[in-house]
Amino acid sequence: MDVQEQVIRLRGVRKSFGSTVALDGLDLDVSRGEVHGFLGPNGAGKSVTIRVLLGLLRRDAGEVELLGGDPWRDAVELHRRLAYVPGDVSLWPGLSGGEVIDLLGSLRGGIDRRRRDDLVERFELDPRKKAATYSKGNRQKVALVAALASDAELLLLDEPTSGLDPLMESVFQDCVLEMKAEGRTVLLSSHILAEVEKLCDRVTIIRRGRAVEQGTLAELRRMTRSTYRVETERPVDGLASIDGVAAVHVEGRTTVFEADDAALDAALGAVRAAGVRSLLAQPPTLEELFLRHYGDAAATEADRR
Amino acid sequence: MTTVTTIAPPPASSTTRARGSWHGTGRLFRLALRLDRTRIVMWTIGTAALVGVSATSIDGLYTTDAERLAYAQITRDNAAMIIQAGPGYGLDRPTNGAILMNEVAVWTFVLVAILGIMATARATRLDEETARAELVRSAPVGRHAGAAAGVLSVLVTLLVVGIAVAFACVGAGFGVVGAVAFGISLVGVGMVFAAITAVAAQVASTTRGTRGLALSVLGAAFVVRAVGDVSAPWFSWLSPIHWGQAVRAYADERWAAPVVSAAVALGGLAVALRWADHRDFGAGLLPPRPARATASRWLTSPIALAARLHRGPTIGWVVGVAVLGAFYGVVADQAEEMLADNPELADFLAGLGGASITDAFLATGLLVVGLLAAGCGVSAALRMRAEESAGRADPLLAAPVSRTTWAGGHQLVVLAAVVTVTVAGAFAQGLGAAVSMGDARQVGRVTVAGLVMAPAPAVLTGFAFALAGAAPRRAALAWAALVLAASMGLLAEVLGLPGWARDLSPFQHVPAMPAAPFRLAPVLGLIVVAAACCLAGLAGVRRRDLAVG
Repeated sequence: MDVQEQVIRLRGVRKSFGSTVALDGLDLDVSRGEVHGFLGPNGAGKSVTIRVLLGLLRRDAGEVELLGGDPWRDAVELHRRLAYVPGDVSLWPGLSGGEVIDLLGSLRGGIDRRRRDDLVERFELDPRKKAATYSKGNRQKVALVAALASDAELLLLDEPTSGLDPLMESVFQDCVLEMKAEGRTVLLSSHILAEVEKLCDRVTIIRRGRAVEQGTLAELRRMTRSTYRVETERPVDGLASIDGVAAVHVEGRTTVFEADDAALDAALGAVRAAGVRSLLAQPPTLEELFLRHYGDAAATEADRR
Repeated sequence: MTTVTTIAPPPASSTTRARGSWHGTGRLFRLALRLDRTRIVMWTIGTAALVGVSATSIDGLYTTDAERLAYAQITRDNAAMIIQAGPGYGLDRPTNGAILMNEVAVWTFVLVAILGIMATARATRLDEETARAELVRSAPVGRHAGAAAGVLSVLVTLLVVGIAVAFACVGAGFGVVGAVAFGISLVGVGMVFAAITAVAAQVASTTRGTRGLALSVLGAAFVVRAVGDVSAPWFSWLSPIHWGQAVRAYADERWAAPVVSAAVALGGLAVALRWADHRDFGAGLLPPRPARATASRWLTSPIALAARLHRGPTIGWVVGVAVLGAFYGVVADQAEEMLADNPELADFLAGLGGASITDAFLATGLLVVGLLAAGCGVSAALRMRAEESAGRADPLLAAPVSRTTWAGGHQLVVLAAVVTVTVAGAFAQGLGAAVSMGDARQVGRVTVAGLVMAPAPAVLTGFAFALAGAAPRRAALAWAALVLAASMGLLAEVLGLPGWARDLSPFQHVPAMPAAPFRLAPVLGLIVVAAACCLAGLAGVRRRDLAVG
């Protein structure tokens, strides 16, 4: 199997609802076998993207390729090979959770009963209750069990854990890692950055319907400054004047600063001149990446106004 | 959500706490009025139009004392008519007011009872079942404020409906005193059923359960007063519907009767309040039963799911239409007698053709059956639209299910339901006619007539599907088409509509069997139109975005 094979490929996709622009030239690439994190603030267009990928919405412009087909034209064929968990799960109030799981499974051409029962147990779901009485988390479990019990090669998960408790979230994470080990592809839209950091190989951050960052976590980190904390014998000189070093903070013999990878050599030179006693390097967390990006963007917009 | 119901001792309540549980009622009441305003207007217009149009029509049909006396003679001694219409107060010296009450009062009481049930279930249990009430209750408002505001809003709706109906009567030239009495009796019956629903909302833990319980009480109330009116007048007093009838509007008005309704309504609300104090939020006194853990073998396809979703409502329509059809059948043998002295009414029925009056009456009964079947079809077609907007089409269409399969499945199931409702109503009417006339052949000929009629409701159903597919945001307009068809069919004579306007209704084109002979061409034509509408709906669904919300 070609590792680089594209399972999802979007180029310049646009979608508007009346005067509201939901997708504004979105690019997205997901390769086979990867768990791809799909991040963005509320209203950035994550769910619209997934609904376009499902052929529920029709794109206004741009190219979309899903599993080698067109999600609008080849919807039925493609859907045999994928499973979907919506962010806001709405179920038939008169059907029990078990009935819904079996129904969705049989639409995909049958369900592995052992796997289904195993997942019901792992997620501690009571399948005998009517969907009307389920809480948000339980409705989500129904959709998750139905999706995970299928043998779909692609999973489209739209904030699948937003209603789950931490225990169930870790069950979910185990399941996703099992999927990955089986070579399946997962597009995971999420707000839980720790989850994305733990599960995802690559990440796309979108904002206002456009991809603003795309890459592996390591690549994204490289684009952002890491934080360094050094203890020196003498006060450090000339750090702040180095291009690419910022947020220098001196407290006695301890100096904290942020540096781009390109500026690191010069920065460490200045530090060494002061006699290093200890050094602690901290790569940015995804949360910092995320906040920094949106913080900057928000700031720029505020300036513009 | 908890399933355990605990009956705890009531909290020791001081005066301030008791007052505190109503805190915020005023604000929430204004919110309820804001949320309900469209429904209030629709119910008011609908009910007032029903009564007003009937009043105008009766005014045109009964112009001499002889005609009125003939009407009174037939209805007063006819068990089937009494079951439908009530004991016939004032028919000993019949006025058009008394005839109007005999014709519309019972059904208007049923209508306002349904209004009370639906609105109260929404204000109490539905709010609690969805997270809305939780959000409201987390604010500094009292425990009973939300439900109290809802019930007040129901009361306002009923008052507006009562006043509008009274104006409709007066506007049609009927007396003011009777109009006021009728209006008051409507408010009374509506409030009693609002209170019954408030109690049911404490017993059941779901909105469906609440509505089901309250509607069962309404059904029992109808049967109790029917039995009582026919055989034992005291027995009728066990039925809340009778408390409305007992006001005797347009006869010798009894102003004490509404006091019974008011007392029972207040008592019911007090019981509901007390039980609400003793249960957990979200729980009911009846614990929910466990459902199936796995799907049955047949629930494996989109069409099976559609069948499952439409099953319950369709059974309700079949039963209701069959009961009504049976009434029409049972009274059919007296149609001739009833109309002998009323040439206008006879003309109205005979406008269907030169057939016997009995057959013309049976054909009119089938028209009502067909209109109700169309109501079943339109509401079911809109249920498909509701599935889509609630996001429940998404998981199906995200599976290997095409839009054609999804929408087509709904269409097939709903069209089958429409045919079933029509034929069941016709069969029941034929059975009723056969029993009352002692002529077994009526079963077959009326059932066949129903089958021939079925393409007409199918056209209206298809129109609803066409809207749901091609213009989903305007889908509710399908109800307007149904109302239009109903007024063309039932009131064209009274309203004096021109021929081309009548031809807009599909019911105008079905051969009015058994009064008219069978003709194949119009039936085939209607089938083609219905199919074309359904295909247009499918094309719409295939072309557009799926709309959630």
